[in-house]
Amino acid sequence: MIRSQKFWAAVCAVIFAGSLIWCIVLLTMKPGDTVTITQDGKTLYTIDLSKEPDRTIEITYEGRKNIIEIKGGRVHILEADCPDKVCVNTGWLTAGIPIVCLPNKLVIEYADNDTGLDAVAG
Amino acid sequence: MKKLLAIVSAALMLVSCGSVPEQKHTRTLFCMDTYMTLTAYGDKADEALRSACDAMEILDEEWSVTNPNSEIYAANHAEGKTVPISEETEHIIKFAKEISQQTDGALDITIFPVLQLWGFTTDNYRVPDDSEIQKLLESVDCSKIIADNGSLKLPSDMMLDLGSVAKGYAAKAAADVLKMNGIKSAILDLGGNIQTIGLKPDGSEWNIGIRDPGADGIVGTVSVEDRSVVTSGGYERFFTQDGVTYHHILDPKTGKPANNGFASVTIIGEDGVNCDALSTSLFIMGPDKAEEYWKQQGGFDYIGITDSGELILTKSIADSFKLDSDHMGVKMTFVE
Repeated sequence: MIRSQKFWAAVCAVIFAGSLIWCIVLLTMKPGDTVTITQDGKTLYTIDLSKEPDRTIEITYEGRKNIIEIKGGRVHILEADCPDKVCVNTGWLTAGIPIVCLPNKLVIEYADNDTGLDAVAG
Repeated sequence: MKKLLAIVSAALMLVSCGSVPEQKHTRTLFCMDTYMTLTAYGDKADEALRSACDAMEILDEEWSVTNPNSEIYAANHAEGKTVPISEETEHIIKFAKEISQQTDGALDITIFPVLQLWGFTTDNYRVPDDSEIQKLLESVDCSKIIADNGSLKLPSDMMLDLGSVAKGYAAKAAADVLKMNGIKSAILDLGGNIQTIGLKPDGSEWNIGIRDPGADGIVGTVSVEDRSVVTSGGYERFFTQDGVTYHHILDPKTGKPANNGFASVTIIGEDGVNCDALSTSLFIMGPDKAEEYWKQQGGFDYIGITDSGELILTKSIADSFKLDSDHMGVKMTFVE
């Protein structure tokens, strides 16, 4: 009887410890680092910024060009050959504010949003 | 038997814990010169979103300044002759004329030729001479437009552009379509022009960030239910020449980029069209005139960010507004 009680106590302890560890893992995990790069609705790249080495990506659309730069876990458009440069001016990607190049139908945005923001006005 | 009961009750407990959340549907589209993300909740949301997108695409076709098939293009190239227009085009032009009058000309949908002069419509930017601007300003006056009984007449030297009101109207039209389809919870992001329907599926308010006009990210968050949140700022479309930055929101009085003290203005209100028109208007007015206008008209809230980074906001929105952790020291002035 006592032995079986001990056994169940041990099982409960293991489950408790396991769930505690799982909670800690879930809470400390850094989601929201995944970024999608889409063109005209098609996904070209899905990138985890926390794992991605610094690099540039060149994307062309009907002969026009955007150069995307990933640096230190952040992403922005470094160069665009359109004259208005709205996408370059948007700066580094932040939650809720997609980087958009309208003429080239290019969009860079976070895949999941864990910031508590539902949208950004601006 | 006892075991079976235990298993069944345990299973029931598990099921009741994981209550099924309302299904989320999202559609994105390029429309009205911007990138839109529409999100709605519920079983019929996907179908409803498709109808909402269709409604906005129709407006885009009617109002585009570059599409030769649009009503606005026809009016702009009619050499003073009358052209037929749809009910919604008549509606929005009448509304824009009304706002222009109310704001003492801060908003004028006939500023388009001056916008062209600066190159903002073609991206061939240049700083025009004062004499060039003055000459074109003579034909900026939306009170001369006649929109009535399904027709539109524009003096031959004038041009129309609904850019300052179109997205607000589209957001409202899309929201109306969604509501008609039984949607109780949705958020529409029309390139930073935000329209919410109801509350979030979990019953909490929508958290809308207000973009920082001077840096990446946001200055704070406003929590809303069933409201529009629309921001105008000079930071999105601009060019720099000889160290001076010129943005695209032109003051109809000077024909030059508005430079009256605001870096951005956000309007929070029930009506998306009104919010869109007023964000541009108050941005052009600057802090003093904006406050005066709000005291006279009311019916909305605003959050203005001055060129020096200070916040001016209506007292009635203060409780719903939270500063971002990076902006805790920012000076805030309340208008009441």
